[in-house]
Amino acid sequence: MLKYTIRRLLGALLSLFIIVSVIFVLLRFMPMEGFLGAGYEKMSEDTVQSLLAEKGLLDPIPVQLFHFYKNLFQGDLGTSWVYRAGYPISKILASKIPVSLRLGLLSQALAIAVGIPLGALMAHARGKIWDKLGTGFIVLVEALPAAIYHLFLQLYGTSLLSLPLVFSKSNPVSLLLPVISVSLGSIAGYALWMRRYMLDNMNMDYVKLAQAKGVSGRDIMMKHVFRNAFVPMAQFLPGSILTTIIGSIYVEHLYSIPGTGGLLIDVIQRQDNAMVQVLVLLYSAIGIAGMFLGDFFMGLLDPRIQLVKGENNR
Amino acid sequence: MGQKTDAAKNDTIKNDALQNDAVISVRDLNVKFHLRGQRLHALRGISLDIHQGESLAIVGESGSGKSVFIKNFIGLLDKNGWIDSGEIWFAGQDLAKLKDEKVWRKIRGGKIAMVMQDPMTSLNPLKTIGWQIAEALKLHQGLAGEAAKNKTAELLSDVGISLPETRMKQYPHEFSGGMRQRVVIAIALACNPEILICDEPTTALDVTIQAQILQLLKDLKEKHHLTTIYITHDLGVVANVADRIAVMYAGDVIEVGTCEEIFFQPKHPYTWSLLSSLPQLAAGEEELYCISGTPPNLFQTIQGDAFAPRNPWALQVDFLYRPPYFEVSPTHKAKTWLLDPRAPKIEPPAAIRRMMELGKQPQARAGRKESADAK
Amino acid sequence: MQNERRNVLLDVRNLSITFGRGTKTFKAVDNVSFHIYKGETFGLVGESGSGKTTIGRAILRIHPTSGGDVLYKGKKINGKLSRAEDYEVIRHMQMIFQDPMASLNERAKVSDIIAEGLMNLQPDLSAKEKKRRVEEALLSVGLLPEFSSRFPHEFSGGQRQRIGIARCLIMNPEFIVADEPISALDVSIRAQVLNLLLRFQKERGLTYLFIAHDLSVVRFVASRVAVIHKGVIVEMANTEQLFSRPLHPYTKALLSAVPIPNPLLEKKKELLIYDPSCHNYESEAPQWTEIEPEHFIWANRPELAQYRKALDL
Repeated sequence: MLKYTIRRLLGALLSLFIIVSVIFVLLRFMPMEGFLGAGYEKMSEDTVQSLLAEKGLLDPIPVQLFHFYKNLFQGDLGTSWVYRAGYPISKILASKIPVSLRLGLLSQALAIAVGIPLGALMAHARGKIWDKLGTGFIVLVEALPAAIYHLFLQLYGTSLLSLPLVFSKSNPVSLLLPVISVSLGSIAGYALWMRRYMLDNMNMDYVKLAQAKGVSGRDIMMKHVFRNAFVPMAQFLPGSILTTIIGSIYVEHLYSIPGTGGLLIDVIQRQDNAMVQVLVLLYSAIGIAGMFLGDFFMGLLDPRIQLVKGENNR
Repeated sequence: MGQKTDAAKNDTIKNDALQNDAVISVRDLNVKFHLRGQRLHALRGISLDIHQGESLAIVGESGSGKSVFIKNFIGLLDKNGWIDSGEIWFAGQDLAKLKDEKVWRKIRGGKIAMVMQDPMTSLNPLKTIGWQIAEALKLHQGLAGEAAKNKTAELLSDVGISLPETRMKQYPHEFSGGMRQRVVIAIALACNPEILICDEPTTALDVTIQAQILQLLKDLKEKHHLTTIYITHDLGVVANVADRIAVMYAGDVIEVGTCEEIFFQPKHPYTWSLLSSLPQLAAGEEELYCISGTPPNLFQTIQGDAFAPRNPWALQVDFLYRPPYFEVSPTHKAKTWLLDPRAPKIEPPAAIRRMMELGKQPQARAGRKESADAK
Repeated sequence: MQNERRNVLLDVRNLSITFGRGTKTFKAVDNVSFHIYKGETFGLVGESGSGKTTIGRAILRIHPTSGGDVLYKGKKINGKLSRAEDYEVIRHMQMIFQDPMASLNERAKVSDIIAEGLMNLQPDLSAKEKKRRVEEALLSVGLLPEFSSRFPHEFSGGQRQRIGIARCLIMNPEFIVADEPISALDVSIRAQVLNLLLRFQKERGLTYLFIAHDLSVVRFVASRVAVIHKGVIVEMANTEQLFSRPLHPYTKALLSAVPIPNPLLEKKKELLIYDPSCHNYESEAPQWTEIEPEHFIWANRPELAQYRKALDL
């Protein structure tokens, strides 16, 4: 097990290294405007050179790469070029990430608490009222562009329920609408998949045997079907939770939440490569970690999954 | 015309059943399904008694309704099916009218347990086999904790699994097909049933494992005084385990008799066809005997004998009127007009005549005497 | 009834097939030898995991071999072959697969399924000719020509297996490996499909390698049988010889397990269990020996002596 973990970890680090380095190199091939801003044409050659030197862009690429990683290991994420010029990136992230994370974690908690039981309920009541209502809900959420229901939620939430329009740290209630908005998509997704997995399991032979044993319908649902259906869900839960760090662009915008939503898009557009670099590193690491944790989690729940080959044989 | 009240009629049936020593008594059972917007008449008036302590085999091709039939004994008919009419008497109750889930749950497992066909899928892959046995022990024997653990080990030994204490902590995927089937049998036993239904218990297994499992089932039947019902299409398996055989075709039991009567003196043309198509009986023939045509469409009402269109020995009357049971012996009856005293005498096909000869031979008689003595 | 110098179509010599690499190898087939005469049905019988399917696939070059030779009409056909040689082999050998639900491409029309092999071998066949051949093939297996435009899911298991047979026969093979062709079919359909295979054999002079675990069926169709256990062929003989006078303890155990549809015999039957430790191969290794004409057995000398006594030789 240890060997497997180490192997997986090394593999992850390698992937990360490749991703980050490739992006790093590609970014360096961008046209000059990107690095120096709009006033580029007006600058003198000297200014250009000195600005480039400042950003460490005159060194050969391998050297730049080396410096980047060296700084990284020392905990220095660099400074932003454009977004907040001269400001340490670590500080920028430190102010934004916790906000999005809080929003994200709360909405994931809500999604899990509502979506998974909803899916189970829908499977159990297949074809009946709850299934139909649930299906209607899922279809609505999945078919409508998120922008629309986020907007409507804000509109009616603020007018009818007098909920706060703008996020403020001091008022936790102001998080209510944003959390609900963000969670809707996940609720729909979890319910949809949970229902699917539950139904798959409900038709299996082992359920018939359990019935023939005289096990009550309730026990069959809980101890057999739900428990088994949860295993494939477990695979994408860690990833979903971790990736909330990326923030929700629209919701955060609507409620003026100073999170990481849309940050990557923003810095790419503004060509703040230093920030792009760091964000790519961060998001890739999160993605890989999510997958790894998902596999690990699933392996814990399903004894058939042998993460290490060849140990379990009759 | 004295009209018997329902209660009085039920009493008569119950008394009949008791006299026959019948532990389950099915009377004129009709089961239908809603399928693709139409009604499927899956069981068409089955009447059958299952006697205490016997081993009954129900034989038929797929679509004959044998699985549907036994599902009624544990109330697990598919959601789109229902019992249209008829009765199933068990322990003084008509199971056909039983709707109370609580009562059913006591019957399922506790009185009537089932071993299913595919051991690879019958067990929950995410629970240890010990857990799955203990679940049954808790439900039907009220055992928990240490007592359950000991009983589980005992059951596993009973079904021939060595090192039970270790193995009960293992998961199904760590067992081979034959071993898994033994676990399923252990689970059935844990319920402490009176009747054990085995639905094609060995079809998915290798022939040597099959033989061992059948032997195990026979031994367990003796040890626990069970009544067993086997569903199978394999007439070799039937010859091994059955005391009595019921042959099903198109939702009806068309012939029923003791094992020897069915093998050595079959009377219904379908039984003849079934036996004839066995490769073992095709000695020296060029081709295997096969029954032409396909089973009838049960969505439509059938006129006359359901087997008539495929029956090379069909009489005209077979297409008009459904034959009733004709008695051949107190234990043997068949639904064929050929047994009517007015019917022409028909010679059964060559393979069947060979079987009849086999049944009369001296060593066979000696065998019969031996097994009779042994009982 | 033995022919003097019968024509050996397939000769398998010391065939070994190993799975896996490095430290984790598994010998699925271990030093197996047998031969099949032209025009006969040769039965290869074993339980699951015995290696019988692997042998069938290796003969057809679906699976690589790791040792030994497979000779078809005297020419070696396993190992590396040039494209032309490979083409020659495939032309004459075909396979019928076990599971009709899994062996047909659900997304392809029946006509394409049947004609695919033909199109590979004769790419410049005209559409008209292809249609004719496909319909001919369908008729020969007892299916209607209009089935050619349908999809597999519209057919029952027995019909699908017939489509698989049509696919095989359109290639005009000489040699067919039938891997459990009727095990997955309903009991009442088995006889039909089996009769079909036998009829083709008579009409076209085909040679079959019939792989199965159902001994009753093998006894009916095969003229010679080999019994395989855990990758080793333990006994091979003419069918009746094997069934009436089996020598190897595994063969005996296997035969004793076969259900007999005769209650008097079946209930009296004694079930033999095969215990591999009954062999003592430490002191002397076993050899593949022809103990009497056409009767081969895997045994060492002490065992051979016993067997000879049992046969009164």
